[in-house]
Amino acid sequence: MLVPATLALLLFGIAPALLMIWLSFLNLTASTLRQFVEAPFYGVRNFVDAFTQPSSLGVTTGWSIFISFAFSLLSTIATAPIGVAAALSVHDRFRARGLVRALYLMPYIIPGFATALTARVVFLNGTGLVDKILGGLGITNGQTYWLIGPHAYWAMQLTEIWAAWPFIYLFTLAGLQSVPDAQLEAAAIDGAGRYARLRYVVLPQLSGVLKLGLLLATLYHFGNFTLAFVMFGGTPPPAGAEVLPINMYYNAFTFFNFGMAAAIAVITIVILIIPGYVYIRSARLAGRVE
Amino acid sequence: MTGDAVAVGGHNGARKSYRLRDEPKVLMPRSLRGIVIAVLSVVIVVPIGYMVLMSLTPNQDVALGTISLRVLGIENYVQMWSAAPLASGLLHTIIIAGTASAVSVMVALLAAYPLTRFEFRGRRAYLYTLIALQTVPGTTTVLPLFAILSWIQTTLSVSLIGTYWPIILTYMTFGVPLSTWLLVAYLRTVPRDLEEAGLVDGCSPLGALRRIVLPLALPAMVVAFVFAFLVGWNDVLFASVFTNQHTQTLAITLELFSSTSFSTGTPVYGELMSAAVVSSVPVVVLYLVCQRYLVSGLAVGSLTG
Repeated sequence: MLVPATLALLLFGIAPALLMIWLSFLNLTASTLRQFVEAPFYGVRNFVDAFTQPSSLGVTTGWSIFISFAFSLLSTIATAPIGVAAALSVHDRFRARGLVRALYLMPYIIPGFATALTARVVFLNGTGLVDKILGGLGITNGQTYWLIGPHAYWAMQLTEIWAAWPFIYLFTLAGLQSVPDAQLEAAAIDGAGRYARLRYVVLPQLSGVLKLGLLLATLYHFGNFTLAFVMFGGTPPPAGAEVLPINMYYNAFTFFNFGMAAAIAVITIVILIIPGYVYIRSARLAGRVE
Repeated sequence: MTGDAVAVGGHNGARKSYRLRDEPKVLMPRSLRGIVIAVLSVVIVVPIGYMVLMSLTPNQDVALGTISLRVLGIENYVQMWSAAPLASGLLHTIIIAGTASAVSVMVALLAAYPLTRFEFRGRRAYLYTLIALQTVPGTTTVLPLFAILSWIQTTLSVSLIGTYWPIILTYMTFGVPLSTWLLVAYLRTVPRDLEEAGLVDGCSPLGALRRIVLPLALPAMVVAFVFAFLVGWNDVLFASVFTNQHTQTLAITLELFSSTSFSTGTPVYGELMSAAVVSSVPVVVLYLVCQRYLVSGLAVGSLTG
């Protein structure tokens, strides 16, 4: 019974990953890709080029790694307190709680490409919502270029935070629901105030699932391709938005430098091996593989 | 806030009752809760409201930033269908994502059943592989899959890009592990006694799967189907490489509509926003209608990757 699933995973999950390692050592261009079996061997040159030569996008892989690290870590750091606060705010029963819970999911369930497209209109120079608000409040002159130049990173970063915090919220809510009421009552009777209950009863039980959620969220931010692609699409995105997935994609499918793109993909996997391993281990600790 | 009187003492009647400072289960003071809900609601509603407002505003008014409630109209929702092939994009998405997720769920049920019912060598390794696969970003598999496709196309002189097969199979790579996880988590909660009763009554193991497990697992299968379907609905990366104008999905149609519109210098912002609203509404309605099942699935699905 496992055969169909195993075949699907081997053929389309594991075999491509192994093939990619081989591809990254080949000189692959638009003309050699079709017959990549016979493509000339290139050694580690793709990797050397990735770090030393700016790609046709004008940035090196090192820069993209830096942007991707900043993007994924800042996203996680910023969404964590929002998600936890949101979960605490709808944990207790009150009227309209169902409505608020449904509302909280909205940023997360709206498709990523629709969010990115809306962000593109919201961040329009001068006429977009953000510039209108900032200009109206007198914080800026309302003429900031968010979609090109140095501010592009922050426009992308804010959009990701807006769209991704409910992920942490869902993890926290699931964790909160597993804290037995009896423990909270016992703590209250023993004189623990609200803060003490949160700090010494709830948080210790939450930390396992929360750590797992934060780790997984970081991995997802790192792999987010849609946001930068749609938000800045049409032209190659500005340097500040050249995250690793974008760098790989443009190298492969716009500039047909497939060998270099494969090298970037291998570098991505190498970066993700350690957090991925930690995730699998903590998934085991959380008892989900028994 | 005001706290309940809690009786403390043995059950033969508590003589003393302490008034707690607050309700034990309440973790956030009501005033702070109000502030958090208010702030988050504004942050959520304002951009979504702006998207809807822009979708009702004529293109040139969005571009000029002259937004007024007097010019609102549904023209964008009418014009966008002819401005971009959104209807065929929608159809392609339904065919591709629907097929991929339906097949994924069947394959996943076949896999989840032995994974929860039998002890065999490599069972844990299998479960770990399923988790591990969900941490691998799509950008690392799109290229080798593309290379294999190009190679097959050249070697066998068939054309695959522009057919539904490569993209359906790719979405199954994500659909199968996701659905398997959801079903494994669910089947663990289904007692084995029911199947054993069926076996005692003369069912074959496959018969027990079909007659007993399948009906019980149906709600989880629906959840798994929805999640696998959304993978295809939301994907931009694989669809942008493996589809062409004959198969392009709604996401790609919208992405191309947007990038051509922006690079030609006459952006049809209003129509883009109405198309964004139309691509979001089915997903949002789906969640709201079956929120209970999906949120529990979301927790399981996300907890498991």
